[in-house]
Amino acid sequence: MSDNQKKKILIVDDEKNLRLGTKRLLEKEGFEVVTAENGTEGIEFGIATEFDIAIIDMKMPDYDGIQVLKAIIKKFPNTVCFIATAFASYDTAIEATRVGAFSYIPKPFSPEELLQQVSKGLEKRELSLQKESWLKEREERLLEVAFEKTRLNTIINSISDGVLVINKNGEVVLYNPAALKFLLLKNIAIEEYIIDKLPEKMAEQVNEFLKSHEIIKRSLSVQLQMKQENDLFIEATSSPVPAHDGSLAGIAIVIKNITELKKIEFLKSQFVSMVSHELKAPIAAVYGYLKLIADKTILIDPVKEGEFINRSIYRLDSLLKMVNDLLDISRMEMKNTQREIKEIDLPDIIKSILELFQLDIKKKGIGVVIENEENIQFLSGDKDEITRLFTNLISNGIKYNKQNGLLKIKFCNENDYIVTEIKDSGIGMRPDEKAKLFHEFFRAKNEFTKDISGTGLGLSIVKRIVDSYAGKIEVNSDYGSGTAFRVFLPSVKTMNKKEISDKKIIS
Amino acid sequence: MITEDKKILLVDDDLDLLEQHKLLLESRGFKVVTAEGSKKGWEVFKQELPDAAILDLIMEEHDSGFILAHKIKKDPHGNKIPVFILTSATYVTGFKFGASTAEEKEWIKCDGILNKPIIIDDLVKKLEIFFNEAKVK
Repeated sequence: MSDNQKKKILIVDDEKNLRLGTKRLLEKEGFEVVTAENGTEGIEFGIATEFDIAIIDMKMPDYDGIQVLKAIIKKFPNTVCFIATAFASYDTAIEATRVGAFSYIPKPFSPEELLQQVSKGLEKRELSLQKESWLKEREERLLEVAFEKTRLNTIINSISDGVLVINKNGEVVLYNPAALKFLLLKNIAIEEYIIDKLPEKMAEQVNEFLKSHEIIKRSLSVQLQMKQENDLFIEATSSPVPAHDGSLAGIAIVIKNITELKKIEFLKSQFVSMVSHELKAPIAAVYGYLKLIADKTILIDPVKEGEFINRSIYRLDSLLKMVNDLLDISRMEMKNTQREIKEIDLPDIIKSILELFQLDIKKKGIGVVIENEENIQFLSGDKDEITRLFTNLISNGIKYNKQNGLLKIKFCNENDYIVTEIKDSGIGMRPDEKAKLFHEFFRAKNEFTKDISGTGLGLSIVKRIVDSYAGKIEVNSDYGSGTAFRVFLPSVKTMNKKEISDKKIIS
Repeated sequence: MITEDKKILLVDDDLDLLEQHKLLLESRGFKVVTAEGSKKGWEVFKQELPDAAILDLIMEEHDSGFILAHKIKKDPHGNKIPVFILTSATYVTGFKFGASTAEEKEWIKCDGILNKPIIIDDLVKKLEIFFNEAKVK
């Protein structure tokens, strides 16, 4: 209640002179005064607005003061009520305070007496109001805390990572359903001793915190296989929870499902194994030849020796190519390759690739046929990558072709795609070979292919490039009669050729 | 020498290694027949009935050598000769196997695992042991 607001006093008395006299006195002191000439009026006014103080006469014709007081307090418990009475007695005093009067004022009273009582009453009222507001505040805060708590619980329960909080005695303080799931536990009771239910390595980690004399201030992580056959891998990270005084209050453990990560890790290491094996083969071959040549106890005729040197050069050459292919693949994997995206005329690119292969084409006597539909749309892409893609396919079309075979290249528009078909009349593939075609290091091995060199990475690179352009690649093959690759790449809607060649976008 | 007129079958899809191993064994007095794949290897085996077989593990498939070894060991002639598997896979795949115990020999159906690159002296020693034992019997 603000100070500049006048304090309100209600006077209920059937004695007119006293009523008016008191009113005048109090108004002079700066109070706002309302008077009621009987009990009925007293109740009416007293419950219509909240007064700071009510001074109620004990004996009135209609109601007695006690009844009026009860009615007012019922509505406004903080209105400080005085009972004024000429029959001041011990009993009335008791009676009045019992029902809620602050005090009683014996009649007749002097102005000083009255003002003194009023000022005491106001103090009392301040206190009660203060108390009430504190109570209210506290209640609100409690509600808020309760609300926060449920909200926090809801959040923790919906986190997909497991959360488990343990106190310094190793008992559970908090957990969520994900923690149960990852730890393969049916249930946990709050305050239950948990450490012996945890996987061994996690328990060790928790104990490291609990048994350390000084508080460990960093987090510890451990990775565990919870189920066999790559079904569930978890990573548990334990962090200390400090108390106010800096000592250890408990440990918060976050449990992550890292199964997918582990699977990727496994694939990666499998790939590394494969790469090592593929790299080792040519090295072993060259090493073997050099040792044979160096070994003076073994006689090799000069023609053979020349052959060994040529084979070594050949093996080293393909080793180099393989390393280059691997570097390309790892660049593509990183996905931060600088691409210079331009509008590309596919038939043009294919023509320049074919020129590079002129020598091989001639050597094998291969006939090249290009079928070009009119208005082949442009492609938006990196010229080097697209060149790489078709170089690998055309190279295969030549390598795996028959002597005097045919290489047919056909372009057409199909909806928003440019389709390039590269068809050879070569050795073709068996269905089981076709299935593994795009796998790294897969090379069809049969009587036709034994003299054909390759890294086993060419088509895997082709697939990666096609995928990175949101395209697709189809294969049709008959064993012994040839293979056709159909590459679908999204086109840029035909624009003016001039406009396009001027554009240069770096992505 | 005991190794003379002994015929060894070599099966490997790496033509260079095949050539080198052939030369090495020939330099030690063995006769060598070769095959460039497991299918061909079986044919050569049936035709030549060699006194020992050395098979590369990873050829058409990752276990082609094992399969061929198994087939040879079930053959009445093959059952009498030493069969070795040639591999670098114990290092590469991280999964270990050997053929040192009787149980492993039974399971893998071969008489020993040879790691690449071949150390010719070791190989010759192993072969001699087998041939000597056979002679004693």
